[in-house]
Amino acid sequence: MTELRAQLSEWRAAVERALPPWWSKGLAAVVLVIGVVLPFITGSQSGFLNGTIVAVAYAVMSLGLNVVVGMAGLLDLGYVAFYAFGAYCMGWFGSAFFFGVHVHVGVAPTLSHAIGIHLNIVLVLIAAVVVCAVAGMIIGLPTLRLRGDYIAIVTLAFGEIIGVLAVNGQSIHVGGGMTLTAGNLGISAIDPPWFPGTGSFSLLDLRPWYWLIFSILLIVLFVNVRVRDSRLGRAWVALREDEVAAVSMGIPLVKTKLMAYAIGAAFGGMSGAFLGAYVTEVNAGQFQFGFSVFIVAMVVVGGIGSIWGALVGGLLLGYINNYLIPDVLNDLPSRFGLHFQLTSVSFGIFGFLLVLVMVVRPQGLFPERRRTLEMTGEVAAMDAELGTEPEAGNTI
Amino acid sequence: MNVTEAAAADATVPAGAPILAAAGITKRFGGLTAVNDVSFDIPARSIVSLIGPNGAGKTTFFNMLTGLIRPTEGRITFEGRNITRSRPDVITSRGMARTFQNIRLFGAMTAVENVMVGHHSRMKAGVFGAVFRPPWVVKEERQTTDRARELLGYVGLKKADFDRLAIHLPYGDQRRVEIARALASEPQLLLLDEPTAGMNPHESAALADFMRRLRADLNLTILLIEHDMKVVMGVSERVTVLNYGSRLAEGTPAEVRANPAVIEAYLGKEG
Amino acid sequence: MNTTTITPGPPATAARPVTAALAAVRRYAGRWGLIVALLALPVYYGVNDLVNGYQAAVVAGHPVIHHDLSKLGFNFAEGLSDGAIWALIAIGYTLVYGIIELINFAHGDVFMIGSFTAVGIWSALGLSLTTSMLGVIGGLIVALIVSMTATGTLNVLIEKVAYKPLRAAPKVAPLITAIGTSFILQNVGLLWRGGSQLSVTDVIGSQDVVFTVAGVPILRGYLLAWAVTIPLVFGLSWFINRTRPGKAMRATAQDPEAARLMGINVNNTISLTFLLGGALAGAAGLVYAVYETQVWYFQGFRAGLFAFTAAVMGGIGNVRGAVLGGLIIGVIQSLSDERIGPQWTEAIVFAYLIAIMVLRPKGLLGEETREAG
Repeated sequence: MTELRAQLSEWRAAVERALPPWWSKGLAAVVLVIGVVLPFITGSQSGFLNGTIVAVAYAVMSLGLNVVVGMAGLLDLGYVAFYAFGAYCMGWFGSAFFFGVHVHVGVAPTLSHAIGIHLNIVLVLIAAVVVCAVAGMIIGLPTLRLRGDYIAIVTLAFGEIIGVLAVNGQSIHVGGGMTLTAGNLGISAIDPPWFPGTGSFSLLDLRPWYWLIFSILLIVLFVNVRVRDSRLGRAWVALREDEVAAVSMGIPLVKTKLMAYAIGAAFGGMSGAFLGAYVTEVNAGQFQFGFSVFIVAMVVVGGIGSIWGALVGGLLLGYINNYLIPDVLNDLPSRFGLHFQLTSVSFGIFGFLLVLVMVVRPQGLFPERRRTLEMTGEVAAMDAELGTEPEAGNTI
Repeated sequence: MNVTEAAAADATVPAGAPILAAAGITKRFGGLTAVNDVSFDIPARSIVSLIGPNGAGKTTFFNMLTGLIRPTEGRITFEGRNITRSRPDVITSRGMARTFQNIRLFGAMTAVENVMVGHHSRMKAGVFGAVFRPPWVVKEERQTTDRARELLGYVGLKKADFDRLAIHLPYGDQRRVEIARALASEPQLLLLDEPTAGMNPHESAALADFMRRLRADLNLTILLIEHDMKVVMGVSERVTVLNYGSRLAEGTPAEVRANPAVIEAYLGKEG
Repeated sequence: MNTTTITPGPPATAARPVTAALAAVRRYAGRWGLIVALLALPVYYGVNDLVNGYQAAVVAGHPVIHHDLSKLGFNFAEGLSDGAIWALIAIGYTLVYGIIELINFAHGDVFMIGSFTAVGIWSALGLSLTTSMLGVIGGLIVALIVSMTATGTLNVLIEKVAYKPLRAAPKVAPLITAIGTSFILQNVGLLWRGGSQLSVTDVIGSQDVVFTVAGVPILRGYLLAWAVTIPLVFGLSWFINRTRPGKAMRATAQDPEAARLMGINVNNTISLTFLLGGALAGAAGLVYAVYETQVWYFQGFRAGLFAFTAAVMGGIGNVRGAVLGGLIIGVIQSLSDERIGPQWTEAIVFAYLIAIMVLRPKGLLGEETREAG
């Protein structure tokens, strides 16, 4: 196994040496262009475009969790809580749910007299960011003194509590006959996004939805890269590597870790708010532990700590879960004479993927240089042997 | 402004006053008393050593000075401020930096990045600065990188190694990087925990010279835990001896070396 | 010659009384804060029952109000029986964590497989309420043995495939494979007995009242739970404390390197730990199936988290702690189910889990792992 890894590493190094120095930036540019023009290729109603929209939304969440788990090294198993908060922001501030109130800011003319709170989606996204950042810090606070696996359990517990609140929220009254959530029935008839130039989005034309989530993705990627290569990003790596040494060098433990939770949560909230609008309903059944694991799987498979890994992992698993399994491969088992559909084993498949990746390649598909060293240990020895020192300032 | 000029501009403690005063420091872990009523003053701009047999409580005492452990009793004052219960990162930002007995570099970061982390408490950029990169943040980053490289040069690391991962550096160079990292926080007081561990006599002597140079160039006070007696006797102005957690003796190197109690502690009772 | 110049330092400042008091408060707040939080529920409801009374029955259209503690007693009786199930599962968590510092996330689902297996066995044997008592007992013992063997082996297998290859990796790696394994097992359960809760034959009449103590009905199900749990817990205790392999387990938990140097086969000891933990989960599975007369592929997830909370509450790595924790969680669950509403029980138990982590992560009886040992 070690020889195989060494051989693969050598090939990869040889390929990288053969490429021109601007190859990674070139690749990024190509991907960007494809990303922008994709809807023109697929058409405005395509199932593939639908799958892509959801996959991109999941990729945003994956990038958010990557900040917490990958960069700051805090294993968060309750990320679904931020999906919930974001989605409920959309449900609360973009529908007739709070029927006793009349607030309208920046909405379509047709909605300007509707009951409920109706804010422009940009405002809802901002609200989601604020709510989730605060929620992230509150959830993170009890975990700061705990060791790794306990952090996982506490965040999981919080995720479950939020889930219970979502379900039972329909019996929590907030005054005027209104309740906190609509439980499993769900808040429905969510306002579609509206912008002065484009009018209201509709589900008959998926392209504006796509470009909206794609823009959100670009923003999130930008923030990720900027933060990674900053004083804060370095502080996270230091805390992750050696907490005692890091605080002795002047890094404030609480503040720095809470920042990671806040930023990671904010991304989840943005995506959650978007999905709330896209799916046009927010019901408690969407917020289960399985979803948290799903996002963890994206980060892990893509490569813990690596921004591009989280992106690819998110897209890949998003596609597999929302397009490949239900739309393309669903009747695969029946072709083998088995009496179930592939969707009913989708989480078993994810479980298997998690085990496989951890055992075979714990650093994931596109590992971040540092995490490879941490996760396998042997790569360092090989690097020294083969003279393949990774180049400094490993960029995208 | 280069490294040494910057340090000279920072001198705040009046000559003669102790930069650090530890009074009655005691640490008990359950039934075990690791440090017992140790009092200790460090005059500004001195080089002072703390020695004692293994298990005497030296590193525990160090850890209390830097805030990693809380004293059970006692009071620590640094530059006039009470830091007894302060957090380690606060103590560092007040001007006390340290190295570790077992080198604790951030292995998966380069030498430069390690030293940049040392400068964390002197920088101001937060998350908004990171995302929007206004001119002052860009300048701060560049200054930090430049200073890190300068410090690495000052401690004697080869330029080719600046961007190597810390775990790929040889042991001696790792020690240098650790010192550079501590210096990056612009300390007034530098605590070195067994800096010559694993060095041969030639290297130890070079380190002793380096410490004198450090003190002169950067206006530092240095507290040393050391086992190498040549280094201790050669570079310290004052030596304090701990044994079984208590202060056994204190004085000039010559006085301590001749003290029968100290000799006995190290060699055991003459039969 | 005066060689020692010990400069007299300033007089040693004794810790000011206030600071000392605060330090003591912080130290005790942890453990006692937790105990207060735990007692809050039963005390509140006990006092409420005594003062305000509770509706015990409806006779001729009029509610009958009692002012005694027998409803609370019922909560305790039920809680201690549910708790016995959690205790058995919690022991598995605590043993595994004690020895390799890993949360065996799949453990709850092993319990579920145990339930499913037990149901399968007694269905195959054709047990039902009409079977003679001897037949039922015999059949259940057979089912118990088979389930325990199956789950014990399953647990050992999981360790070999998903955890052993990652012994040297950072802790996040085996935690993730544990989650993955949990999902795989859940899917197996889903395919085996479907997605909805499944009623199974009530083999012993588990809701029948056998006798009453001070107004508290004791159900057959309770007796079964205790009849299975008490011998198993004592048997395990004896095994760990009195036999060589058991002592090897304790030694390995305290210091694996030293154990290896003393000639203990660490790998086998770890496998043994998984075997025992898994077997107890299988027993819990059988008790659960007989007691609740219902199984569900998702029961392991919830049970696992409750049992893990129990293990942490008692002190991870500590077997007595796991039992104590299990019983406590059982009582909390019973109180919550009946007094507050079953839809809130999960949130309440998890709130207690967070409280433990914040107030006293060592648990009530203290940890017994490498760091603590």
